Amino acid sequence: MSANVSGVKHTRGFDVIKPLSVSVLIAIMLPLVLLPLASIFVFGTSNGLTSFWNALVAPEAIFALKLSFATSFWAMIFNVIFGLFAAYVLSRYAFWGRNAIIVMISIPTAIPTAVAGFALLLLWGPYGLLGRYLPPDMQIMFTPYAIILANIFVTFPLAFGVIMPVLETMSRSLEEASATMGASRWQTFWYVTLPSLRGAIVGGALLTFARAVGEFGSTILVSGNLAGRTQTAPLYIFSKFNEGQVEAANAVAVVLALFSFVIFSVLFFARDWLEAD
Amino acid sequence: MKRLCLSITLIFAVLATTDCLPGPMDGSDGSKGVVITVYGFSIMKEPLEKSIFPAFAAKWKAEHGSNVSFITSFAGSETVTNQILQGAPADIAVLAIERDVDRLVQGGAVKNDWRARPGKGIVNTTPFIILVRKGNPKQINDFPDLAREGVQLIHPDPTSSGGAQWSLLAIYGSELKKSEAASGGEDIPKATQLLHEVWHNVISTPGSAREARTSLETGYGDALVTYELEGLMMTQAGEPFQVVVPKATIFSEHPAVMIDRSLTPEKRPVVEAFMNYLWSDEAQQAFVKHHFRSVTNDLFNQANPEFVKIELPFTIELFGGWDKAYPDVIQGVFINQIKTR
Repeated sequence: MSANVSGVKHTRGFDVIKPLSVSVLIAIMLPLVLLPLASIFVFGTSNGLTSFWNALVAPEAIFALKLSFATSFWAMIFNVIFGLFAAYVLSRYAFWGRNAIIVMISIPTAIPTAVAGFALLLLWGPYGLLGRYLPPDMQIMFTPYAIILANIFVTFPLAFGVIMPVLETMSRSLEEASATMGASRWQTFWYVTLPSLRGAIVGGALLTFARAVGEFGSTILVSGNLAGRTQTAPLYIFSKFNEGQVEAANAVAVVLALFSFVIFSVLFFARDWLEAD
Repeated sequence: MKRLCLSITLIFAVLATTDCLPGPMDGSDGSKGVVITVYGFSIMKEPLEKSIFPAFAAKWKAEHGSNVSFITSFAGSETVTNQILQGAPADIAVLAIERDVDRLVQGGAVKNDWRARPGKGIVNTTPFIILVRKGNPKQINDFPDLAREGVQLIHPDPTSSGGAQWSLLAIYGSELKKSEAASGGEDIPKATQLLHEVWHNVISTPGSAREARTSLETGYGDALVTYELEGLMMTQAGEPFQVVVPKATIFSEHPAVMIDRSLTPEKRPVVEAFMNYLWSDEAQQAFVKHHFRSVTNDLFNQANPEFVKIELPFTIELFGGWDKAYPDVIQGVFINQIKTR
């Protein structure tokens, strides 16, 4: 290893490594990410913009998009609040079993989403462990609430994962100063801790939201996939593709692709904006 | 801090302008009247949504003055069955194979008397054909040609699709039928051998018959064994495919059942009326219009000149019904001897 390091030379003048490495980067991304995305746009608009627009404003497509955004929104709200709470507790207090809790929060990342959906069904389904005790008019599965539950499960660790490292590395001196100046624990949290976390909160929220909007594997199991009732945007795309209506599927896919582009642009720029207060 | 509050309020404002959770599209305000939820296997979509639902709703409105509307979900027959077994809120299921109805009966979702309806509970039927690209570049003329080297076959997944199981029975049974016609005895080893060789050429197993067709349309594979109506739909739409009629093939039979388990007393008469409507002349003719074959009146079928003629047709009775066909052929031959090899 050390022999290699001594071989590195500092180049003067035109640095050929820079344009080369940038083009290698793009060349790798092209077939893996960029071209597949481009093909969605090409196929989505191949029959002209009018038919693209008509596919998009079909009532079932609009409903599917609305349902996706709404269910993801509630999952995001819950997971951000929970993530903040969990990160605060786990970074401020040391107790027996702390690491076990951190590991447990992270488990949903590694579980296949279909397994997550199936697990929810086995628990809350009309014949599930707990679901069988629910009266018929209070059943959760196969309603939009089931989609929220599935979204919460699969995005559970995301907001926590963003907030926790920031909270752990945050200097305690400000909080301690605030406490010595007579602030209550709540005041310290609200005026000192929280403001320095806003970048992480917004980042975690957007990540959770984006991931939930694209969720498929668990939703198809718990929602019943009923068009105009429990069919989210990814399920709509899947159903339309199965029915051979590739344009309809692509129109909604284009919206989702543009949406994630916006989300991650916001994520990228909002961070600087929020941190430079 | 202000900015954080601002952005949070902004997000809330955006969401408030849409809905908290969008209500069901079928109008829970009662304007759409009774809502019937139908789960169907993949290819049932067109006849139901385009003809039968609107016609029944109009008929009901004329006779009773109240509204009926439908919501639907379509997937592979086995998938639909599993969803209902897990509690999906279906009122009616139209399935590809009787075996799935038997599973629903065992799961307590459907009553045992489902065969008491006309046509023994079977709502329509269709033969299995081979779909190839226009001009038939691989010269596929019958099932044995699918076993030829270099032929790429798309075949739906028998674990999720009922059509896939019909297809396996069509290929396997065709050899039994032909050997019986030639020598008077069913040549089981030859049929097993053929199915084995054909399966060897399968390049992709999509989840339903319709999904398999979409794969073929997007450019994969040379051939697909599927329902006649899929081929007729595609050629009618002017797509570059053609139908190859095997010498011997199976007629699939599709049961429609009422999911008794979850029916409320208010809903039951409407669902019952709809079930009966499925076997009415009007509905049977609508199925024929959408390339299915009627089970109640063969004159309807004769009126449709596009239907192909099969030299040696057979049904599930060749194997002694589904009670025997599934354990003997799908499980005994396909799963135990072919799929796992």
